[in-house]
Amino acid sequence: MTLQMDLSHHQGDFHLQVVADLPAGVTGVFGPSGAGKSTLLEIVAGLRRPKQARITLDGKVLCDTAAGRWMPPHRRGIGYVFQDSRLFPHLSVTENLNFGRRHGRAPAHPSTCAEVIELLGLARLLDRSPGSLSGGERQRVAIARALLSAPRLLLLDEPCASLDLPRREELLGYLAAVCATSSVPMLYVSHSLPEIARLAHQLLLLENGQATACGPIHELLGRVDLPGLSRSDEAGTVLLVRSIGTAEAGLCSYEHAAGVLRLPGPLVPAGQTIRLLVKARDVSLAVGEPGQLSIRNRLAATVMEVGPPHAGLCEVLLDAGGDRLLTRVTMATVGELSLQSGRRVTALIKSASLGH
Amino acid sequence: MFNLQNTLESRLRAPFALTMQALALCLSLAGSAAADTAARPLLLFAPASMTSVLGALREEWTAGGHQMTVSFAGTATLARQLRAGAPADLFISADRAWLDVLTAEGLLRQPQRVAGNRLVLVVPSRSSRQSLSLQAGAVADALAGGRLAVAMVESVPAGRYAKAALTSLGLWTEAQTRLAETVDVRAALRLVALGEAPLGVVYATDARSEPRVRVVADIPPTSHPAIEYWAAPVAGGRHPDTAAFMDYLTSPSAMAHFRQAGFTDPQPDGSH
Amino acid sequence: MTIFTPDELTTIQLSLKVSAWATLVSLPPGIAVAWVLARREFPGKWLLDVLIHLPLVMPPVVTGYLLLMAFGRQGPLGIWLETTLGFTFAFNWTGAALACGIMGFPLLVRSVRLSIESVNRGLEQAANTLGANPAWVVVRVTLPLALPGILAGAVLCFAKALGEFGATITFVSNIPGLTQTLPGAIYNSIQLPEGEAAALRLTGVAIALSMGALLVSEWLTRRLRKREGQAR
Repeated sequence: MTLQMDLSHHQGDFHLQVVADLPAGVTGVFGPSGAGKSTLLEIVAGLRRPKQARITLDGKVLCDTAAGRWMPPHRRGIGYVFQDSRLFPHLSVTENLNFGRRHGRAPAHPSTCAEVIELLGLARLLDRSPGSLSGGERQRVAIARALLSAPRLLLLDEPCASLDLPRREELLGYLAAVCATSSVPMLYVSHSLPEIARLAHQLLLLENGQATACGPIHELLGRVDLPGLSRSDEAGTVLLVRSIGTAEAGLCSYEHAAGVLRLPGPLVPAGQTIRLLVKARDVSLAVGEPGQLSIRNRLAATVMEVGPPHAGLCEVLLDAGGDRLLTRVTMATVGELSLQSGRRVTALIKSASLGH
Repeated sequence: MFNLQNTLESRLRAPFALTMQALALCLSLAGSAAADTAARPLLLFAPASMTSVLGALREEWTAGGHQMTVSFAGTATLARQLRAGAPADLFISADRAWLDVLTAEGLLRQPQRVAGNRLVLVVPSRSSRQSLSLQAGAVADALAGGRLAVAMVESVPAGRYAKAALTSLGLWTEAQTRLAETVDVRAALRLVALGEAPLGVVYATDARSEPRVRVVADIPPTSHPAIEYWAAPVAGGRHPDTAAFMDYLTSPSAMAHFRQAGFTDPQPDGSH
Repeated sequence: MTIFTPDELTTIQLSLKVSAWATLVSLPPGIAVAWVLARREFPGKWLLDVLIHLPLVMPPVVTGYLLLMAFGRQGPLGIWLETTLGFTFAFNWTGAALACGIMGFPLLVRSVRLSIESVNRGLEQAANTLGANPAWVVVRVTLPLALPGILAGAVLCFAKALGEFGATITFVSNIPGLTQTLPGAIYNSIQLPEGEAAALRLTGVAIALSMGALLVSEWLTRRLRKREGQAR
């Protein structure tokens, strides 16, 4: 699929301007609150009419203000998971799901239906009414309902935002499973970088209504010239590692080009490649052989680039066995450790979270 | 700060002014009410069928320096209001039954006949019919599938008289199933005037006042109880003009007005 | 039922028939108009609003008179209906139903409109994204959620129809068995000095019928609410 967008929309003082070509897969739309992420989704879905836009999906024109063309939302085949789930309160869970099947692009095969229900763990909830579900359960039903309408594109507007931390983790688990098994392209909006890093392959960065970057997530996360990303509290990069399959003392081992990592968590079968999200604030640097430290995970790395300073801090981009690592240090440290392009260092990784 | 104060002041000013004005209005009304009880107008309850003729009588009466208010409604409505304690001074009834009840209850004193009325059969003026003989089958013919407009035959006086007349003329059976009963005799008149009903039974006085209907038959007065209008002072009323107005109502000049409007003269023995 | 005379029973039956038909026939256009007023903007919308409310603010006798002029035997619409469809309102229970329906219509529209306005538009958007076209959205999302308001409006319309007098009697007059509804019979009774007992009996019936309609509506609404909030 290809989603081509060229839009310029303003509302009061706010001006949204996005030019992007998005391929299939999961694209994360990242930006702070008020950046225009939800507005962008509404425009793509047809729930909001832009002042000026040309949007095509797989070659089909959804909206072309210059030519006066506009496809109403119910014909676009674009599913939408809202932040407030928006389940129909007068219908049971099953009836909500069937609504998606009934009005969707193509009637979903019963086996697909069963798969989706299983994937999102809805078997016990089928006869309940939306009012009796928890926030996480409601979102899962909403996701399933949207999937069952056989959309060409699925939009998710911060589905985890209104949940507390444990529920969020739980829902993210389900979402990761959906992203892995479903072939439906997705636009995932969030102001949480780890969420996006865990689920998405592409990233669209939205700052103050402007699309400042768009591309593969690996690349963008490993850049220091995008302060919207790199200066975020949860800035980080993604490492691809392979599970060795053994666990000792509660830690699982993962093989990386630049070293071996041992991390807590469920045992992943040997040979499986997974993504590790490493936040900049979990990476420390050592020059020379580090002595006895509590941090066991060490990767050999080379400094690639030192980012521009801000408030006495700066980001440092490392190359560890072909993957990028990001860390944040004080300007003083840059001087003390003589951090400059080419310098060999050891990256000490305090923790990482497993993606899919 | 300065702006806030100004805004508050200007916002309070309007409602404050309104309150003062309302207060002033209330006071002045109370004042005038107080003044009125000293010399309030004579209050007359009268049936709706006397609206225009009493209007003329009132003009004449008030020209002599007296004050009078008239409340027009159906006799039954006025009677119930009187029972509930309405402060009327005089009561004119178009219905003998109500008059007897009110007198028996001690609400009215010494009733006097002031006028009579007749019933007529009317058709829309557009109709080609000029007259109707009151033979059996005549009404059915005239109706020809339409309905006979009358006031409600069980309750409204005009309707009761009409039913009595039709019954004694032997026309009730053919009319009974073809009735359009209206809330009062004026509404029956209106149905005929609009052409909705091809035939109607109304008071002669009503027929005179409506150019869109034509009288095709006079109902013989002997076929129904006498249509009489009785006036009586209300018991307990203390208006000084009451007796004088009663005299005026039965005076020759008043009778001339009644006659002009199509009412018949009241006969002491009830015949007319 | 020996409390009521056969005539009174006929009147009660006719009242029920007239009010029921008035309400049923008012529902589809009432819901449609309420939806338009709640969900659409267009020039002259205020005019539609005013027209709908006219029967509420005009004296009922005036409404009855206008109906007489338009739908009576000599009225243009009355003549057209008779010649084309063989259908008459004049001096017929259908005319009574028309008068009652028109008098109750504004109450129906007001209630349904409020109800539709309170339906979360986000839900309608969600339905759109799932592929439901605007018509389906109304049928499967908006109206079911507005059902309590529709019921309330229907009950109001029914109760108003039961009590409607001025317009009815002015339009179709008082023909026992055909157009004499409860209020007409009550009015008839209170015209007579000895008619109080009958009037009270019939008034009791009118109150009982209205209360019955109200109770049915309450019960239905409660069932709907329960269905929406199961296991709460």
